[in-house]
Amino acid sequence: MSARLPIGMDATAPLDAGVNTAVTTPKLGRAYRARSLAAKIALIPAILVMLGCYYASVTWTVYISMTRSFLLPVYKFAGAAQYERLFATPRWQVAYSNMFVFGALDIIGTLGLGVLLAILLDRAVRFEGVFRTVMLYPLSISFIVTGLTWQWVLSPTIGVQQFVRDLGWSGFVFDWITQPDRAIYTLVFAGIWHQSGLIMAIMLAGLRGVDREIWRAARVEGIPTWRTYISIVLPMLRPLIVTCIVLIAIAVVKSYDLVVAMTNGGPGFSSDLPGKFVVDFEFERANIGQASAAATVMLGSVLAIISPYLYFELARKNR
Amino acid sequence: MSAVSVSGLFKSFGHLNVLKDIHLPIEAGEFTVLLGPSGCGKSTLLNAIAGLEDTDAGIVEIDGADVTHHEPSKRGIAMVFQSYALYPTMSVRKNMSFGLRVRSVPRQEVVRRVDWAAKLLQIDELLDRKPSQLSGGQRQRVAIGRALVQQAKVFLFDEPLSNLDAKLRTEMRVELKRLHKELGATIIYVTHDQIEAMTLATRIAVMRAGRIEQYAAPDELYEVPETLFVASFVGSPAMNFMRGRLTTGAVQVGSAEVPLNGYRFRSSPATGQEVVVGIRPEHLALARNEPGENGIDAEALFMEPMGADTLGWFQFGEHRLSARLVPQVARGLSGRVRLSLNADHLSLFDPSSEARL
Amino acid sequence: MTTTRRHTRIGRIGLYVLLVWICLFFSIPLLVVISTSLKTSDEVRTFSIFSLPAVPSIAAWIKAWSSACTGLNCGGVRVGFWNSVRILIPSVIISVLAGSVTGYALSHWRIRGANVIMLLLLVCAFIPYQVILYPLVKTFSTIGIYSSLPCIIAVHVVFGLPVMSLLFRNYYAGLPEELVKAARIDGAGFWRIFLFVMLPMSVNILIVATILQTTGIWNDYLLGLIFAGRDNMPMTVQLNAIAITSTGIIEYNVNTAAALLTALPPLVIYFFSGRYFVRGITAGAVKG
Repeated sequence: MSARLPIGMDATAPLDAGVNTAVTTPKLGRAYRARSLAAKIALIPAILVMLGCYYASVTWTVYISMTRSFLLPVYKFAGAAQYERLFATPRWQVAYSNMFVFGALDIIGTLGLGVLLAILLDRAVRFEGVFRTVMLYPLSISFIVTGLTWQWVLSPTIGVQQFVRDLGWSGFVFDWITQPDRAIYTLVFAGIWHQSGLIMAIMLAGLRGVDREIWRAARVEGIPTWRTYISIVLPMLRPLIVTCIVLIAIAVVKSYDLVVAMTNGGPGFSSDLPGKFVVDFEFERANIGQASAAATVMLGSVLAIISPYLYFELARKNR
Repeated sequence: MSAVSVSGLFKSFGHLNVLKDIHLPIEAGEFTVLLGPSGCGKSTLLNAIAGLEDTDAGIVEIDGADVTHHEPSKRGIAMVFQSYALYPTMSVRKNMSFGLRVRSVPRQEVVRRVDWAAKLLQIDELLDRKPSQLSGGQRQRVAIGRALVQQAKVFLFDEPLSNLDAKLRTEMRVELKRLHKELGATIIYVTHDQIEAMTLATRIAVMRAGRIEQYAAPDELYEVPETLFVASFVGSPAMNFMRGRLTTGAVQVGSAEVPLNGYRFRSSPATGQEVVVGIRPEHLALARNEPGENGIDAEALFMEPMGADTLGWFQFGEHRLSARLVPQVARGLSGRVRLSLNADHLSLFDPSSEARL
Repeated sequence: MTTTRRHTRIGRIGLYVLLVWICLFFSIPLLVVISTSLKTSDEVRTFSIFSLPAVPSIAAWIKAWSSACTGLNCGGVRVGFWNSVRILIPSVIISVLAGSVTGYALSHWRIRGANVIMLLLLVCAFIPYQVILYPLVKTFSTIGIYSSLPCIIAVHVVFGLPVMSLLFRNYYAGLPEELVKAARIDGAGFWRIFLFVMLPMSVNILIVATILQTTGIWNDYLLGLIFAGRDNMPMTVQLNAIAITSTGIIEYNVNTAAALLTALPPLVIYFFSGRYFVRGITAGAVKG
């Protein structure tokens, strides 16, 4: 059977030589369309899920956030009333500002450590396998286990504080996890511990893709290694670094399991984050109006992060 | 400008001996080309001179100073790479000035040098562009410019033209020759293209399997090749080779006995010795059946018109020979013909050692 | 590589020392948890988790597995383990297959709007769960399967679909077009080509996808908590319940043992799959 396509169906398909196409073209046209139909049918579940589960749900949530709903959905439009209430709620104010504090520190810490590790492994020759195994295993561990582990490590009664006191420094204090104004910082430890390996893996792959001749050129010019990384190699990896920042930021916005396991938002709600706020208000407090508003704010944050990113990525690919 | 001297250089990668006993005395202001097929070690030798590769034994001297254990930046060299290796996120100007500023060269001086190099290479209009906005030839010039501003003693080029198309390559060859003349710089240049080597070099080091087979001016390489390999590698179309046997004062090739009057033997030849006779296509011609001519009988195979002359291919016993012929004569040539050899331009080689006799 | 690096003895040693220090940062939390789980109940009461057990004992592990208490039930994490397994296997199989078919359909069949679909999928992959939780709860309630095993499986499939589809799509797009074309010339249809051409070539990516989904689903907490139903609570939920039950003396040895048991399956997979795991998380992370 020839693969000659009827003109106008697909101009980019190559024309195959062979059988008399005039006779077989109409038959093949139908066959081709039939196969394409199968593909389209195969896509229907995915499209349904996407539109139904995701986009419809998002739309519903956003809509609810603009109604006067409380316990149950009430379809009376209320404009920005929910949002006004939301931002006047102390717990939300804490959660929302925590997102930025935690986010900034987590991004700086995870990115910094990840890049540092990538550079170190780029220069080290031996034992790379061992080092990588150790740096990446936290990613296989659930956030619950991660949160609990760090809760224990940072606990004043059994963790670092106790350990140092056992060694002799009886006045040593490190109880951030129980301090309302410090608790949010403890999440940063766990966040960095969990994700630096991923950043390291991504950045190391990027570093390895850098043309070795650029290294040689810099060496012949007498540029020291550290300067080469800072002024030449890392700027070359700027798109990759932006990707990493986006990944970390999204994880921060979505955070739920980690907060629950590590501090459960406490003490009080001083270490609360939007992700937990939404779930608590939706299920425990049963206030779907506020929960939807909070969720919409979360969504807005995510869109604010990825829109410029996607836009530039697409622009870059189309150039 | 400075002299470079390499002596007794050895380099291995694991069990692979890449450089074996390299001696290369380069004089100041020379344009030395390292020529050879892939894997012969020419790039490794260049990197060793640059200091980008450690060596197992031997000495590298620049301007009389032993730099064997010095970092590349302390040897007074500048290098141009095959893929140009420009810093992608920096403008042309920054590419050229970055190395200098890292070395704390005063600002004024940096500006002066960059402007001078840019003008010399005709890239002054491109100074604010990024490498991705330049063509291959322009990037090449920027890479050269970056090397020039270093004001180095020796310039090293690693196959800089191989990524360019044929036309651009020819243009850049002229540029490089011009630069060499204007600056009088000492240049070491690596290539596998023998035409490039022949046109650019003052002296060529022909390399093979980690050794330098011959280090001489292009003319000498062409006329008096020291080994069979050099003879076959240099010159296009390639030299013809035939088996022969030495007789008293002559060499027996097929039915012809070619007198060796002016041939300069390296050592006294033994009569009856088997030799390989090398003769270039331009020194083979159709016999005119004159007395004193050295003729051999061959079968005409096919003709390759090359424009100014035609390359004729002939079968001589087990050998296939090529000869430069006048197009009119060559047209329609077939069957058995008689070829004459120009006895003044023979090269004789020992079949086993491949060395020139 | 052909470039020798500038190195000084001290520099090299310093480099490795720094690396080892940082590895301590990564490994100490785990080591500490392991060591605590091997302690007896008395030791746990008085010392920090950084001290080593006097006599290692697996009593805590046994207790965690079979008799630890979550609220009123004292059946151990064993219950949660099997729940997680029952959730995991169907979810992984369905989501991986669904993703591979979708990715395949998007890659070689030149469907108009394929790019739009992919962009929409990409955006879906970024949407936080919290935004669509409530509507999903409502939907499943209405259908009648809320808070059950089928429900949680369906939820995992839904949430895994965007990432899986894009993962497979990118993989299949990298395979030569001639394969599909040759098969089409031979008369094979969509499903034939999928089963006999694509799948056999997909072993690597199937492994990667399976590892990615297994790790993600096993480690899930929020979705299991909301959708699985009281009888099907996954191990992570049980673990957290055990850990926050603070009646009387907290038995850290049991809690740490429970945590390790929960972390063990993905950790084992990680240690044995190395390369595939890394490919999975970097591909899952750098979507599209």
